[in-house]
Amino acid sequence: MKVNENCVGCGQCTAFCRKDAIIVKSKAYITDKCVECGICATYCPMKAIEVAE
Amino acid sequence: MKVIVIGAGLGGLLSAAKLSGSGYEVEVFERLPMTGGRFTNIDIKGYQLTTGALHMIPHGPTGPLAQLLEEVGADVIIERDEGMAFMRIFEDIENNIYEDVPFGKFGKTFSLWNRIKLALFMITTRKNPPKDCSFAEWLSRNFDTPLAYQMADSFCGWALSLKAADVPAEEVFEIFENLYRYGGPGVPIGGCKAVTDALADVVRSNGGTMYTDKEVSEIIIKDGKASGVIIDGQKYPADLVISNIGHNFTHDLCKDVDISEEHQQYLDRIKVTKPSAGVKICLAANEPLIGHGGVLFTPSARLVNGINEVTNIDPDLAPQGKHLVMAHQTTQWERTPYLEDEIDLGIKDLEEIFAGKDFEVLLTQSYYNGWPVNRSSSGSDIGNTTPIEGLYVVGDGAKGKGGIEVEGVALGVRNTMKLILDN
Repeated sequence: MKVNENCVGCGQCTAFCRKDAIIVKSKAYITDKCVECGICATYCPMKAIEVAE
Repeated sequence: MKVIVIGAGLGGLLSAAKLSGSGYEVEVFERLPMTGGRFTNIDIKGYQLTTGALHMIPHGPTGPLAQLLEEVGADVIIERDEGMAFMRIFEDIENNIYEDVPFGKFGKTFSLWNRIKLALFMITTRKNPPKDCSFAEWLSRNFDTPLAYQMADSFCGWALSLKAADVPAEEVFEIFENLYRYGGPGVPIGGCKAVTDALADVVRSNGGTMYTDKEVSEIIIKDGKASGVIIDGQKYPADLVISNIGHNFTHDLCKDVDISEEHQQYLDRIKVTKPSAGVKICLAANEPLIGHGGVLFTPSARLVNGINEVTNIDPDLAPQGKHLVMAHQTTQWERTPYLEDEIDLGIKDLEEIFAGKDFEVLLTQSYYNGWPVNRSSSGSDIGNTTPIEGLYVVGDGAKGKGGIEVEGVALGVRNTMKLILDN
């Protein structure tokens, strides 16, 4: 997954990540623990997480 | 009569609960997979953090929100730790020497002359609240102590996520009046989620329907009147539409409108409303850091405005024996590009305030722009109606006067319900 410039850093994504793969500080950072399940994107209120190309 | 509510945040759910209990057929559409908006819980390592609010209801069990919850039959217990609000005034921050001054006795640290003036203003401002200036301007005209500004910024930052210079004095005095009238903050048992879940239960038991993962793409307007919404290309007709997403985003959903002169004036007014920004720092503590369930205001801190420790009221908001501590700091609009620095300074504040205590940072959360502290900063709210008949706006983008955060949401919903039900 990749984070776009809409991210405000609210941290909602990290609470729903089952792999503990998102670090949040002023914005979300996806770490290499990510398995591309996409759950975080559905919970993002800013449409800030997209599937990485 | 059928009502469609856009957004299952607190304002939308309060409206849906009230109307579904008043004989209306209600459908609530939420774009996210969960209800509650910025007023629900998220679990991090067994700690109940929140999507926004700080598990606190500003006027506790006796305020406008508590009254509205009771009125609609939402089963929520709100507990108040009476008298537990303090200002932590540091004499020597390096050596951690401070005094916790009770909130109501904040003048105690002032000079005699300032204390006399304060006592006088306590009486006169209740009758004649100052108009046409910010709270900071009013203070500078009347007090000469820097501590007064720090306290004002701490209070406004905690309660409204604004600097005292950005709040109209009139709004602050209306809030003080409400503190006399309704009392201080309380914690909903079970946290924010207990409130929004109870409201969703009320809506369902009244026969209303709640949908998640359904994003409204357009509000249908026929002959100048709101008559439904479109979701995934499908039309959902309704007699009334209540939007919980603020005036600006609501307007963006109105695609087919003739802009009259009156409508243009409305658009000019909503365009200048500024969402308030802020940072919340959540701490996991192995011991109580504050020791009570009220608010610790921090006027001496660099950025942190206030802190609470809700586990003193509801221990279940953290794993057994642990404490959840949440600090809030306002972020000036021009500082949002430097949020990481703002967060670091906030953490530094907390390390000083709780020097020697056993805690760690669980999560830092920031809010601005499209997912802000308040969609419309306090004192700049512009009401619940729109130029489109049958289209109302509720929530933190349309709060009632003098209403702190969710109390303002409740006051705005109350106004809207009065407009609809008296019609």
